[in-house]
Amino acid sequence: MKQFVIIGNSAAGIAAAEAIRKADKQSAITIISDEDYPAYCRCLISYYLAGQVLVDKILYRPENFYKENNITLLLNKKVERVDPKKNRLVCVDKAQIPFDALLVATGSSPKFPEVKGIKKENVFGLRTIKNATEIAERLPMTKTACVLGGGLVGLKAAYALSKRNIDTKVIVKSKQVLSQMLDFAAAGFVQRRLVEHGVELVLGQDAVEIIGEGEIKAVKLDSGKAIGCELVVVGKGVKPNIELVKDTGIKINEGIIANNLLQTSIPNIYTAGDVCESFDITVQAPSINALWPVAVEQGRAAGVNIAGGNIIYDGSLGMNALEFFGLAVVSLGMYKVPDKDPSYEELVLDNPKEETYKKIVLKNNVIVGVILVKKISNSGVFLSLMRKKADVSVFKNSLLDDNFGYPAIKDLMPDKERIYV
Amino acid sequence: MKQLLYEVKKCLGCRSCEVACALAHSLSGDLYKALDEEKLSMPRKKVLACGGKNYPVSCRHCEDALCVDACMAGALVFDKQKGQVLHDAERCVGCWMCVMVCPYGAIRPDIKDKMPLRCDKCKDKDEPACVKACPTRAVIEQEKAEVKK
Repeated sequence: MKQFVIIGNSAAGIAAAEAIRKADKQSAITIISDEDYPAYCRCLISYYLAGQVLVDKILYRPENFYKENNITLLLNKKVERVDPKKNRLVCVDKAQIPFDALLVATGSSPKFPEVKGIKKENVFGLRTIKNATEIAERLPMTKTACVLGGGLVGLKAAYALSKRNIDTKVIVKSKQVLSQMLDFAAAGFVQRRLVEHGVELVLGQDAVEIIGEGEIKAVKLDSGKAIGCELVVVGKGVKPNIELVKDTGIKINEGIIANNLLQTSIPNIYTAGDVCESFDITVQAPSINALWPVAVEQGRAAGVNIAGGNIIYDGSLGMNALEFFGLAVVSLGMYKVPDKDPSYEELVLDNPKEETYKKIVLKNNVIVGVILVKKISNSGVFLSLMRKKADVSVFKNSLLDDNFGYPAIKDLMPDKERIYV
Repeated sequence: MKQLLYEVKKCLGCRSCEVACALAHSLSGDLYKALDEEKLSMPRKKVLACGGKNYPVSCRHCEDALCVDACMAGALVFDKQKGQVLHDAERCVGCWMCVMVCPYGAIRPDIKDKMPLRCDKCKDKDEPACVKACPTRAVIEQEKAEVKK
């Protein structure tokens, strides 16, 4: 009987625990979390803040999950340091936890920009259920809010606040929202929807100071202008939680470096999820894709390997689906051509009247990026072509057709076709 | 455990399965009344033409379903006993992660209700509506074990 320890109780940690338990009914599994909540759907906290999801629906697994799978859950416990030499963890409360194999799935934390006043009360990240609850508690005393950052978290925060009738302005350094996942044209569709529904966007300007003695009064911009508000939510991206492995011999870069078995540089220590720097299959370079489905995929692979299996993980790719006020958008991989590089090709269908937009980025006839606005049903078909690095030259001309779909690609797929006889 | 198969050479592309599917998921279940319903019922399957043949595309209820993995709300689960991917509408927030990853493009977003539309094998009925409706018997419902031999 072995002792398997997982640090992190979200998508990657749970997927790993389930995979280990499936293969190994005997060994002890311990999950450690520095939060005080059983696993919940982290991506739903903005919906929770918006009042659209109740707290009992936010749990990711049934209440008896840990008991049923014979998993020890340690809540409110923070690991200070991993000690690979002695195969043990040292916690902030001085407790020591031994392990035979370890999964570091510590996730990431909101990045706070270095501007004056950022440490004030009523400046929040939106990452945990605790954050959402604290913001919600302030809302009765709040009329106006500023969101710093026009990425997915920032926009979801703005959406939630406006649903709660808070007058919300989003301050975006870039000239467009979602600059990490959409091109200028596609972002335009999202921006129009947001503005139509009362979310105000301040584009091309950055916050330089949060003004106020004690209570927040305003956010000062680099243009010199100040925007009055009582609450600030920061959505300026995330940074991987790697402090506990620093100077331990475990190799780190931006995140913890993983090989294709999701092992770190120490063979009995694995990593998965937002903290894991694996390989990006479209960029063809090491990268972190801090996304829920990627965390599940990596957690499962790490869990299987921890339990003695052998899953080769060939990497992840950036992907996201979103919806604001009824407009669905999907972004996959490299959503725009790197600076005028002639080896890339773009297929675009832009129909502002119907509010549809499709873009496919190709390199050597292999799809490396996709943006779909409104008509998103085919995105999984494109995603499998991207994962398989399939040459699409045979049907390149029909990729943008509404009728393009799985039947056109089925012969390229490695699995034997089972349902068409 | 039954699954839906399609005998492609028999499929005429008449879309009777699409109509029957939409009707089976309408409020009234009656063609004329269904057309009058406030929200027009949409089919869970779609026939796509390719290379001179017609292919009905719909959810395959994969055992290692990518949509289940991607669901950030825990609303999709593979039920081993039923051999089906089940969807919990109460948990679903309409984030479209499932639509994004389905390799068959078999899930469609219902933007109005913020719900993914996918085949539920006509769960309350003795036989799926598409099987009944197909004039050439191109849609077949069969035990999964029979397929393997």
